[in-house]
Amino acid sequence: MKQGTKDLIGLLARLAVAGVFVYAGVLKLLAPAEEFGYAIETYRVLNSQLSLYVAYVLPWLELWVGLLLAAGVFTRVSALASGLMLAVFEAMLAQAWLRGLPVTSCGCFGSSHSHSLGHEFLQNLVCLALVWLAFRYGSRWSLDKYMEGL
Amino acid sequence: MKNRTNARLTAAALMIVFVSAVAVLLARQLNVAPMRPEPAYRTFGPADAPIQIYEFTDFSCPFCRMAHTKLDELMKLYPGKIRLVFKHYPLLGIHPWSLYAAAYADCAGEQGKFKQYADLLFDNQETWAFEKGEPGEFREYALKLGLDWDKMQSCAGSTETLRALKLDMSEAEMKNVDSTPTFFINGKRAVGAGQLLDAAKNFDNIIAKAGKP
Repeated sequence: MKQGTKDLIGLLARLAVAGVFVYAGVLKLLAPAEEFGYAIETYRVLNSQLSLYVAYVLPWLELWVGLLLAAGVFTRVSALASGLMLAVFEAMLAQAWLRGLPVTSCGCFGSSHSHSLGHEFLQNLVCLALVWLAFRYGSRWSLDKYMEGL
Repeated sequence: MKNRTNARLTAAALMIVFVSAVAVLLARQLNVAPMRPEPAYRTFGPADAPIQIYEFTDFSCPFCRMAHTKLDELMKLYPGKIRLVFKHYPLLGIHPWSLYAAAYADCAGEQGKFKQYADLLFDNQETWAFEKGEPGEFREYALKLGLDWDKMQSCAGSTETLRALKLDMSEAEMKNVDSTPTFFINGKRAVGAGQLLDAAKNFDNIIAKAGKP
């Protein structure tokens, strides 16, 4: 594959993952944190108090990682951070799926719209693949490269 | 050279974080309007109680049933210290009979038995909540409590009853209520029985403070 094509794929993957993170973060930040905390609680990994703390912090992390990834600031670190977050989400979804927990809202994009756990799991897998592409080829058109050239 | 680039990138990252944080905080809309009063049969406890709880609930929701039991326990544990206001928020998309249940409960309330009817609906939720046709349990519970079923039926179909329910639902939407049960405890939101019990850990302090001259 030509280098230009790889760079383009990397850029598109980076923007796609960034878009998902920014969208998910903003939706949660504009809704009450208690709603998201309640969604986290249904995974039965954290108690209600810890779930609420996570609900206060996680949407900000999603937003900032998404924005940094979109702009290409510390691109590889941002991609790694987004991959790490997705891996944790996958683990949460998988354990809920395997335990057959009655999770009515996965909390992925706020508490309103939600698909089945299996659907969300597959969606996250696609995102993880995009993160890998962004990590590998996403640095060409980024603020990182621009700043290096100054 | 490398250090300078990293410094510039760090500055860019901080700027992105700052600008986005300000934008989100500005976009947040807080609805701090006072709650709409509800009919007396949906209000429990003294008006000047130090703990004021508004509960948005759905008769078909299993988590609401759990929370209902916890609330009953709290009311017994703190007699005269809690005022509970019951608000309907039937999730129409997933619970086919919850609007009907809410209407019948209000109409039972008109005949003086809201609490008893609500208890029966919650206690037997699994038997009626997902039936294909209109559940016979609505009538069964009314007769069990000695209510006038014909009167209840005409009340449940009236525009006044539907308007009261719609007003509760609109209020919930205005306050960004998305899940049931959602509580507002002295103005602070709690979603689900877990957050309710976390908030309850502070009830003794609130009551003690309210008792001070």
